Formats: sequence, structure tokens, C-alpha cells
Amino acid sequence: MIDPRAVEAFIYHEARLVDEMDYTAWFALWDRDGRYHVPIGADPASGQGRQVSIINDDYLRLEQRVDRLKTGSVLAMAGQRGAMRRVVSNIEVLAETPDGEVEIGSNFILGVARTAEQQMWIGRTLHRLRSAGAGFRIARKTVLLINSEHETPLLQFII
Amino acid sequence: MSVATAETTGDSELFTAEARINGRVYRDADLFQRELEQIWYKVWVYIGHESEVPEPGCFVRRQIGLQPVIMVRGQDRKVRVLYNRCRHRGNLLCLADKGQTARFVCPYHGWSYANDGQLLEPTFEEGYDNHLTREQFGLTPVARQDSYRGLVFASVAEHGQTLQQHLGAVTEFLDLFIDLSPQGEIALDAGVQKVAYRGNWKYMPENSMEGDYHGPFIHRVAFDLYARRTGFDVSSLATDEVPDVIRSLPGGHMVEDYRGAPFSPPKREPSPARLEYIDRMKARHGPDKARQMLTTLAPLLYVFPNLLYVITHIRVVQPVRVDLTHSYYYPVMLTGVPDEINDARLADHEFMFGAAGFVSPDDLEIMERNQVGMQARGHDWLFIGRGLHREHDMPDGGRGGLTRDETHLRGFWRHYVSLMRGER
Repeated sequence: MIDPRAVEAFIYHEARLVDEMDYTAWFALWDRDGRYHVPIGADPASGQGRQVSIINDDYLRLEQRVDRLKTGSVLAMAGQRGAMRRVVSNIEVLAETPDGEVEIGSNFILGVARTAEQQMWIGRTLHRLRSAGAGFRIARKTVLLINSEHETPLLQFII
Repeated sequence: MSVATAETTGDSELFTAEARINGRVYRDADLFQRELEQIWYKVWVYIGHESEVPEPGCFVRRQIGLQPVIMVRGQDRKVRVLYNRCRHRGNLLCLADKGQTARFVCPYHGWSYANDGQLLEPTFEEGYDNHLTREQFGLTPVARQDSYRGLVFASVAEHGQTLQQHLGAVTEFLDLFIDLSPQGEIALDAGVQKVAYRGNWKYMPENSMEGDYHGPFIHRVAFDLYARRTGFDVSSLATDEVPDVIRSLPGGHMVEDYRGAPFSPPKREPSPARLEYIDRMKARHGPDKARQMLTTLAPLLYVFPNLLYVITHIRVVQPVRVDLTHSYYYPVMLTGVPDEINDARLADHEFMFGAAGFVSPDDLEIMERNQVGMQARGHDWLFIGRGLHREHDMPDGGRGGLTRDETHLRGFWRHYVSLMRGER
């Protein structure tokens, strides 16, 4: 049995790393077959097959995304450090496999102060985690934004 | 301290022969209203592609300017563009963005319409005496509708140019990306990314069609990553400036024509799927044209006022307010190619475009900053004069310039002013 407190601690830790833009440490949480997916639509399976997503990164693409964010020279990223905080809640263990994979559901509210007007991003995250030593590694992270089917502003951080 | 006075610049002064644009065109709310009347409610506006409504009853919601419309395929398979407004009390009839239905039922008082627009059933009909005849209360079709190779356009104006006249020389460039399919057919069936930016709608065509000038400044990081991933350096397209890459066409259309600027051969061996694709393209177009199409970037193009084709996708520009614009990115899938070709197009698209791509966000950010900059009125003129001294007339009635020239932008603005003056 997975210890729910260990799962929670991991989810909170991950949230803090991306809030603080510690992308090196965040990327190190990932397994090499990982997929980071922000589909368009309420169904976690949307964006499968030949349907465009907001983000649909395999490990290589994710590494590029992180590299891009880390350069600090990305125009759309300017002035964002320290400018976002998310509250993660409703954490539940949804499924568990005998070989130590666990599916976690959680909700989040993320505030971003990109301009004088604060942005709010709201959604649900599905994490597929694998036990690794004392902690976990991320095999899959799917983020279901409540506004994914509407017009969104630019999204240049890790959601 | 003086109070800001109403802006009174005449339309003739919005764009000058010296290639200067008055800042008011991006920030004046009154001008925005006049653009709706003089441009959006006069000219042909792109609505959607027929592949988005493949079966009878399939529909998508769209707008012409601020007016809501539905593009729907009727039971008779005909595609219609109808105003999205119940004939009874004017409620928004269809709320869904897309779907498939035999009938549209108004949520307010329950009137229902067939998917060809005919009124099926007013409710409590007996109370209407004989004032209500079904024939007179069908959904209102937009005044004019036409299509080019599956691209559906409509105009709310009763009179004006035909679609063929409106498109003019730009069809040659529409053909070039549609013919990337060896069946000569594209499909917009891979969904849509929707973005919003706090800036004027005209920044989108301007910014989308001049990547070679601003690219090295705002997209450097993305270009480097793309080169690392694919071995193809996008910026190599513009190392040397090539004549007639930049084209303005009559009608305000703009083109970046890369046919004269082939890219260096890829470092990787083509995959079996790619070889298959090349064979099919040769079979359709002959070896010379196929080679030309496959070794150059398909032209980027803008069809006035709201349609763009940019590398991987059709992009639609949707004004909301003078300082707020929505834009829709539909990846263009090619019919009759191995799956791998379309998978790669979609992967390329997601790499570059959308709210979280590696290219689009920089553009969205820069357009928002442009809107802020435009509040400064000390010297209220923008300058788009690059290549003014060397632009020249082209046989199609447009003008040509070098890779980073602003010839096409000047064509856009000349057309804009002529419409605002009511000359067309």
C-alpha cells in the first residue's frame, strides 16, 4: 500500500519546484518515458490520436521546454520569477498497481502575476507516479484545464 | 494639465505614402466600430473548411466580425452559413462550439429548425393566427457565401466583389499549401488551439507575416531548439535576403513566398513514409514541381481580413475589442499521405504554436506590449518603410520586396485605408 502522506508530500514538493521555477530539480523528477500532457477538452484521453493539444511533450520535448524556460531569455517568460503560486488540494489515490505505479488525482488553483492584472489558472492534475527509493518518479502528468476549450492567454511556465 | 481630446485624425492620415501608420489605428475604439462596418461587414470573411462539417448535421460556430454565425451541413449535404440567432426573439440559437444535430432547438421558447435552416416548429403555434408562416421564419442565411477548394467564405454584404475577385492572385498561394496533399485535399480534423491576446487584431496579420525580421530577436531560443531537434535551422531561410520573398497582392493579401529560397538538404535520411510521400507528390505534380514544393517552405499567406496559413496550420484572426483579439490555430492535415507525415506535422505544430508552444507565446507577448506602447502619443507614427525605395510591381498587380522588407505590410495598409474611405 502506498502511504497517502508520502504521495501528498511529493505532490506539494513538485508544486513548489515549479512555482519557484527550479526547473532543473523538477525535470529530475521525471522518468525517461514520461509524458507531460495538457489536452484540449475535459477528457484525459482527448489529445490522443491525431488531435492537437496545448502541450503534449514526450521526454525529449519536455527537456527542450525546460531548457527554453531555463534560458531566461525567452521573451514571454520575462519577469515571471516569484510571480506564481499554486494551491493543490483534493489529493486522492485513484489507483494502484502491484508493481508500484500509482495514479493520483488532485485539483489546483494557480495565480500568475504576469502583468498588473493577475491571471488565474484552474484545473485538475492526474499524476502517474512510480515508486523510486524513498520517493517517486513521474511517469505521466496530465493537466485538465477548466478553460482548455476556450481562448487562453500565453502559457509559458509549468502548469 | 490638459485633458486628452478626442482623436480627430482623418482616415486619409492613418497611413501615409511615406510608410507611416498612425498609432490610432490600434487603439481608437470608434475606429474599431468603423472597421466592423467598413471592413468586416463588407468584404469576404473566411468561415471554415468543409472538412470541419463532414456529415449532414455537422456544424461549427463562427463569427463574422462580431456577428455569430453557424456553418452547418444540411441533410441535403449542402454547407450553409446561417446567422446564429433565433427568428423568434433573437436568442443565440446554438451555444455549442461544434457538434452534429438534426435540428437546432432554441433554448428560450423552444422553436426548432432543421439543419438546413428551415423552421420546423414554432411552439404554441395555434396562438400565432396566420401571421407566422414557416417559409418566412427560417434561419437567415448570410447574404453571400462561396468557397475555394473547401475553404468557405461568406459576406454579410448583399453586394460587392465576387469571392474570385476578392481572392485574386492569392489562389496561387492557397493552392501551394493545399497541394501539399497528393490528393489536393486538406482536412482540419485535428482540433483547434484557441488563444487570446490583449492587443488589436491587426497586429496578428502584421506579426504573422514578417517572421524573418523579428524572428532572430524574439524567437532565437525556439529556432535553436528546433535546429537541435530536426537539424534544420529556420533562420537559414533568411541568411541572405532573396528578392520577391515578400509579396503584397491586390486586395490587402500578403505572402511570404519561399519558392526562391530552398532550404539546405536535411541531414537525416528520409524515412520510408517520407519516401512514399515524395513518390505520391511526384505522381501528382511531376518531379520538378514536387521537388520545388518539398524543398521549400510552403508560402506563408494572409487572406484579408482574417485567414492565415502559417507553416503547419490555418490561423483565424477574430477581433473582440479594439484592444482584445482571439485567434484560432487549426493544424492542417494532408489527405492521402502516410500517417507519419501528418503525425510529424502535428508534432511540429505543437512544438511551435499555441499558448504553450515555443514560438507563438513570444508573438502574443510582443503584440500585447505593442498595444501598451501605442498609448504613448508623443510622435504618433509607426514606420514600415523597409525596402520602400526598392519595391517593384509584380505581374499579378502586387508588389515584391526582399526577405525582410515591409512591402507586404504597406500593401495591407493601402488596402485598409481604401476600405475605410469607402472606395471599394
